Amino acid sequence: MTHQLPALIIIVPLMAALLITALSWINRKWCFTITCATFALSLAASVGVMIEVLENGVVSYRLGGWRPPIGIEFRIDHLNALVLLVIFSVALLNLFASRIKVQAHFPNKAGTFYALSVLFVTGLAGITITGDAFNLYVLLEITALTGYALIGMGQEHAPLAGLNYLIMGTIGASFYLLGVGFLYMMTGTLNMMELSKLLPELYDTRVVMFGFFLCLVGLFIKMALFPLHSWLPNAYTYMPTAASGLIASLTTKVMIYVMIRISLLVFTPAFSFGNAMLMTVLVWLAVIAIVAGSILALAQKSVTRMLTFIIIAEVGYMVGGFWLGNRDGVTGSILHIVNDAAMTLCLFLVAGSFRFRLDSDRFSELSGSFRHMPYTMIAFVVGALSIIGVPPTCGFFSKWYLIKGGLAAGSYHFVAALIFSSLINVILFFRIFEIGFFQTLPHGEPVSQAIPAARGIREAPRGMVISSLIAATSLIILGLSTNILVSRVIRFVF
Amino acid sequence: MKTVAILTVCLCGSLFLFCTMEFPNWGDPAAPASMHLSPYFIQNAEKDAAVPNIVTAVLADYRGYDTMFETAVIFAAGLACFFLLRTFTRKRRNERLFRHIPTGIVLNIKAGGKIPDDPSKFERIDSHWTPNDLIIKTTCRLIIPSIQLFALYVIAHGHHSPGGGFQGGVILGASFILLAISTDLRSTVRRLSERTSAIMASAGVLIYAGTGLLCLLLGSVFLDYGALAPVLRSGSVMARSHGILIVEIGVGLAVMAVMIWLYYNISSAGKHDEGL
Repeated sequence: MTHQLPALIIIVPLMAALLITALSWINRKWCFTITCATFALSLAASVGVMIEVLENGVVSYRLGGWRPPIGIEFRIDHLNALVLLVIFSVALLNLFASRIKVQAHFPNKAGTFYALSVLFVTGLAGITITGDAFNLYVLLEITALTGYALIGMGQEHAPLAGLNYLIMGTIGASFYLLGVGFLYMMTGTLNMMELSKLLPELYDTRVVMFGFFLCLVGLFIKMALFPLHSWLPNAYTYMPTAASGLIASLTTKVMIYVMIRISLLVFTPAFSFGNAMLMTVLVWLAVIAIVAGSILALAQKSVTRMLTFIIIAEVGYMVGGFWLGNRDGVTGSILHIVNDAAMTLCLFLVAGSFRFRLDSDRFSELSGSFRHMPYTMIAFVVGALSIIGVPPTCGFFSKWYLIKGGLAAGSYHFVAALIFSSLINVILFFRIFEIGFFQTLPHGEPVSQAIPAARGIREAPRGMVISSLIAATSLIILGLSTNILVSRVIRFVF
Repeated sequence: MKTVAILTVCLCGSLFLFCTMEFPNWGDPAAPASMHLSPYFIQNAEKDAAVPNIVTAVLADYRGYDTMFETAVIFAAGLACFFLLRTFTRKRRNERLFRHIPTGIVLNIKAGGKIPDDPSKFERIDSHWTPNDLIIKTTCRLIIPSIQLFALYVIAHGHHSPGGGFQGGVILGASFILLAISTDLRSTVRRLSERTSAIMASAGVLIYAGTGLLCLLLGSVFLDYGALAPVLRSGSVMARSHGILIVEIGVGLAVMAVMIWLYYNISSAGKHDEGL
């Protein structure tokens, strides 16, 4: 049975999404349970695949029984096994937090919401697991389409933000598809492994160079690398809080995974890291993204909006770290995929709780929040420390690898940008801590007197608090197990 | 700003042209795209799956997994449209329109007025211009069955000629949309409710994924239709051919239902009461 696990990772959520849609017209009660069971099953299957990969190396699964270049194959190595685990863990945690929010926001469409989010996760998992360059595009479409729908149902300007994202996202996906088309034109195959065997002879042709370039540009749009980021802040600010933990923490990270996959496995490291000019340009782009993201974050007045710009800076971390082109940089970049997914999840869950309880997450509303929502604020503090990069939270360790990589490559501007962004993060978060701890209420009296201690606690619903606390704990656990992650998993990638 | 945009477009365009100059010639039989995998498909499609139409074999068998998710993309589009547009809170109107079927006279009944109770003589309509044209209605009544028959033919004949689930499904969906245009949305919804179309859409994709899962449960891998041989009581090659047909039917069902679902939601802005 173990050899069927890769297929189950994809089939279970796909079938579940269809079942949930049908059931939502018959009996709504089951939708949440099925979603829960689906993510748990897929997570279990990914754990199984991870164990298989750790023991026996690369796992390949031939769909339809056809040998790879003729049919499509799943190809799971250490890198995508890790990303699969991240995807399903995040999905499961976000689901527990979102139950009450879904009931509150979409009373008539809860089933559809769950179906869309399960399809969204299926798409991400499919992108991660596949070994076929075109199949990746098909699943990119699934992810994008469901993502637009989920974002479009948020508050205020969400429909416009969703439309904006739709246009930018479609352009990005078309660039990727065009790039794959160029590669197909020269090789006649879509299978990633075969591409990596056939391409080296063609590396000097302009078509292959341009194909690679197109794929990268498409992915940069999708992952919101700085000058191409304009869709992200509005889309992520206005989207419904029930979906924000899922979409914000996974989309950009999976796109970075795809970039790594294309650059290391479809093209060889010798090609990707052989072009010094390309690497210099991309590291500079990342530096600009980090600096600009951090400075823009400083100008925001609400938690979620500030987080969206932090995401843009974090994308810079990962892109820059990868294109340093040395072992530490790539390790840091991959480690940061995992850590940043967890950090973003934690902070977005907390921001979701703020919005649920206080109806807004503007800084001005947060006065006294340490007293009202102590557990939520514990999660917030841990998440913030991790973003800043304080040990033993995981943010410190990936930043450590990135800085080591930057020093080894002699890219001092990248190191400077990382340190600059950490300092800005200190300002960003300690400002909120101050408001939450010391700020007086509007009418001038200190919080401690305005609200009697006994009536002071107005914590968010239990599901949200527990999920945020688990996410916060996972930040410390991830931090402490960095060594295992690097030596058992990431070492094999590059 | 405009000049910058034009300059960018020209620059990117010329970059494209410069890079595509090394493309293999148009229709070159020695191009990698036609040399690498195509010969295998041309020589073996008939042998492997007993399907004379190579495109169908590649689409539904060799790359069936892609096609399954293409169907899922269409399904997701229907779902997304429903999620974004559908509104369940109905605005209370203070007047209702009824048409006296024999004469075609429209009654406007204000709130509190007596509502006609004989459904054979009065039909509820949503706007004054709801069409009631004898010529259009009769023509559509004649055309729609033939459209649907043709759609079934397109789905079933995908093995031998251009066609298949996507095309047939769209034609089937179009027949329902024609019905909705020639009469009104209300009477079409009465024939095929939103609930039915939503369930049919998921059932269609479920047929596809379920067939794949059945192959897995019968001991082979996902979507290996050859494993269906004992269930279909045929050789494994014929089982592939039948498997493709089953899958195409699923696709047809899903595409048809999604087309109708999309039309319902878009044409009435999610309210499902007025026709276009």
